[in-house]
Amino acid sequence: MNTVIECNNLTHYYGKKMVYEDLNFSVGEGRILGLLGKNGAGKTTTINILHGFLQPRSGEALIFGENSQRLSPHTKSRIGFLLEGHIQYAFMDIHQIEKFYSGFYPDWDSKPYWELMSKLKVTARQKISSMSCGQRSQVALGLILAQNPDLLILDDFSMGLDPGYRRLFIDYLRNYSKAGNKTIFATSHIIQDMERLIDDVLIMDYNRVLTQTPVDEFMRTFKQFNFETERSGIDLSKEEFVVNVDTIENNIELYSYDTEDNIRKFLDKKGIAFKNFREVKMGLEDAFIGLTGKY
Amino acid sequence: MFKSVIYKEWIKTRWFIILLTLIAILAVGNIFLTVQHNMSFKEASNYWYQILFQNSHYFSYLKFVPLIIALALASSQYIPEITDKRIKLTFHLPLRENRILIMMLAYGTASLLISYSLVFLIFLGLSNQFFAAEIVKLAIISVIPWFLAGFAAYFMAGLIILEAIWKYRIAYFIIAAAFLLLFFETGLAGSYEPINLKLTLITLLSSISLLFSAYRFRKGEM
Repeated sequence: MNTVIECNNLTHYYGKKMVYEDLNFSVGEGRILGLLGKNGAGKTTTINILHGFLQPRSGEALIFGENSQRLSPHTKSRIGFLLEGHIQYAFMDIHQIEKFYSGFYPDWDSKPYWELMSKLKVTARQKISSMSCGQRSQVALGLILAQNPDLLILDDFSMGLDPGYRRLFIDYLRNYSKAGNKTIFATSHIIQDMERLIDDVLIMDYNRVLTQTPVDEFMRTFKQFNFETERSGIDLSKEEFVVNVDTIENNIELYSYDTEDNIRKFLDKKGIAFKNFREVKMGLEDAFIGLTGKY
Repeated sequence: MFKSVIYKEWIKTRWFIILLTLIAILAVGNIFLTVQHNMSFKEASNYWYQILFQNSHYFSYLKFVPLIIALALASSQYIPEITDKRIKLTFHLPLRENRILIMMLAYGTASLLISYSLVFLIFLGLSNQFFAAEIVKLAIISVIPWFLAGFAAYFMAGLIILEAIWKYRIAYFIIAAAFLLLFFETGLAGSYEPINLKLTLITLLSSISLLFSAYRFRKGEM
């Protein structure tokens, strides 16, 4: 599989505040990768570096083998770019904006754009600025699909969208990617949306990558176990197999990559009496919180 | 691609540039209504005497017109780009970033040139109707710095508006204001003759200053 995005030892600081040091990850061709992280973990910084709007202090981000700081026009034409909030040239109407962008891309295919526009209840000469957030998202999506890029970089694509538009957006994106072996790099605050869309997940915490793995594998191996202990005040947070633990009196919520058997054996070995031990089925959002913590 | 860039700039600026050019033409018309009024009521010889020997400028109404057109054009062209950081979309277009900016700049400069040419030619034509060649020549020498100031203001406004950090914007604004004052010194009609060429060169030098703000934006100063 060809590598579309490759970040090598990416390091960035805002003044003296470190965002991350030696960040490494890659995205393969045809994969849909979701970048998840809490506010301030460095998602927007990463997106800005990938777009070439921010120069990292050190390291490099390569897209189709070119440094993102110096992308050639040809490589830029292969990248579809969705700004946070579905920002577009709001002073144009849907005809003007299609005419404008079509002049830049030789492979421009207006069919998917007009297909999406036909679903919008907007007048032909209505300015984008007077459209709802959902309608604007469809304009932005239609333009990206018409551009027919090999890589889509989507910054918080679900922001401001109601559930219907979010679902529409995701379904179109997934079909687009899978039908044409297109690569997508996306961030979103709504992790449930990501679960429907992505193949791989990259979870960042402050200053580091917590995991980069296929979603299926992550959901299969990362587990939540709940149980009650007889004694209160048991601290399991230092144990090697524990990724995260929440303790409220005798109730323990434990997150781990280890198996149920091993954890039970550990508790027995340590003489920690427990009851109601059970594995709790998690969604991606639960797993994300389990991995990064609630605070 | 060039056509697409021009198309976007036209959509942003068309009403501003058309409307302000029309207003400027009306302002020129107003100047010559006043001239005609003065010719009728003061007698032409007296009026000419005032112009030639008492430093009376019949064209002073025109002083800030090019500046206003330039600032309106720059605002209509660049403010939509920085609103919601839309300039990111512009930089993502499959062209070199500086090339896009120079195309935008070329569009703005050409628009100003067309607008100013219309205003200037009407001014020149009407001046020739009312005054002798010597008076018209002095008037032209005197109004040229005002039109140059328009170009300089347009270029500096690009630098200021595209700059993302307010403290830099304010610093650029102070420098630009001091620079523009050079074009508006009062004096005898025609007194700018020795420095008009130098002002033209300085204006040309300022033309690509907006590339610096755009460079800073791309390096993460936003």
